[in-house]
Amino acid sequence: MDWPVVWESRGILLHGFAVTLELSAIAIVGGGIVGLVVAVIRFARVPVVGPILRVYINIGRGTPLLMQLFFIFFGFPYFGINIDAFAAAVIALVAYTGAYVAEIVRSGLESVHRGQRDAALSLGLSFPQMMRRVVIPQAGIVALPPLVGLFIGVIKDTSLTTIIGYNELMNVSQSIVARAPNAIFTVYVVLAALYFIVCYPLSLLASRLERRALVGQQR
Amino acid sequence: MILDWNSVWSNLGMLVDGLGVTVQISILSFLGALPLSLVAALSRRSRWIPIRLVAATYVEIFRNTPALVQMFFIFFALPSFGIRLDAIVAGVVALALNIGAYMSEAMRAGIQSVPNGQIEAAASLGLNGRQTFTRVVFPQALRNVYPAIVNLLVATILASSLLSTIAVPELTGTATVINSRTLRTFEVFAVVTVMYVVLTNTASSLLDLLGRFFLPKERYA
Repeated sequence: MDWPVVWESRGILLHGFAVTLELSAIAIVGGGIVGLVVAVIRFARVPVVGPILRVYINIGRGTPLLMQLFFIFFGFPYFGINIDAFAAAVIALVAYTGAYVAEIVRSGLESVHRGQRDAALSLGLSFPQMMRRVVIPQAGIVALPPLVGLFIGVIKDTSLTTIIGYNELMNVSQSIVARAPNAIFTVYVVLAALYFIVCYPLSLLASRLERRALVGQQR
Repeated sequence: MILDWNSVWSNLGMLVDGLGVTVQISILSFLGALPLSLVAALSRRSRWIPIRLVAATYVEIFRNTPALVQMFFIFFALPSFGIRLDAIVAGVVALALNIGAYMSEAMRAGIQSVPNGQIEAAASLGLNGRQTFTRVVFPQALRNVYPAIVNLLVATILASSLLSTIAVPELTGTATVINSRTLRTFEVFAVVTVMYVVLTNTASSLLDLLGRFFLPKERYA
């Protein structure tokens, strides 16, 4: 084990860790907003826009994030728009996360019994009122566990941005290994541990939410 | 900006080869993950605490760290312990371990979803533990987890793109090679996007169809 190498590099490792957390937060918030809007448009069965968004969801969920990253990182300059690794990472991760959020939220919304919506509308609630007071609270219980699961995936997937040279945790670790090849085992153990301490508590949270959602269904 | 598709068509053979490699490594990893996940799921229900602990450690480590880290670890770090694997072998092993961890959680949920009454009924009919599992619990569990397993095949196909980072010439890696050779980024990646969408949709419809034929039907609603 080469702990001295890791200890000497603690500054840049922690910086990389912070960058990873920052990128994850941007992807989760951005993807969450995109996904929510797309889900509601699809749920409301808006003509023309709805089917187009279905194509977006199909591409977002049917192609690898790594390919999407390459497509955006190389594709923007191809059309004359200069883009750095950070911008490419954010665009790809937000689009990717948004596609998954859209499907999770939509299936949550559709899990709410049709009668609930009819009842709300017959009580004179408007569409936004119905969504806010009747549909979303019930859909949330169903959609929350898979959403947390997805966000864990997004945090881990930010590691792919190292391939386009974005200086996050994985990238920092690779540069440490490049300078001290003998420390590779220790560096990767520390790297894995840093992801683990963020993701494991979230996994526990996801399974707790899942149990709660199951209790809700049984009632 | 005028799109020029000729440079893609003249490299189509290479892309199709890449697609073939993607299909092969996805199937191999998926087939590796199946038994692995069953063993892990059963181990987590074991009477012996050490076995439960080993299985839980495996599942939690592989679910809570990036697949890319796992693959780099197996490919780049294991050689310092004298374990040297080919890129393609290291990639498939990493994918199988990664997908297997997720699948074992699905399997565990599936096994738990079989009502206790079924197990009690099996016992009262005189079935032993193994018979109860293979004839009563497992078929019903499989039916319950099947949709999740179909999703995991799609996840395997998507994750197989990671092998491009250790120079396995699968579809994503091939696309980057052709891109740097022809500089026709949009055309190359548009075709590759279509290939992936068709592949993932075909794979999940095929498994759905397979399930409809071979899975036991729900008989005790």
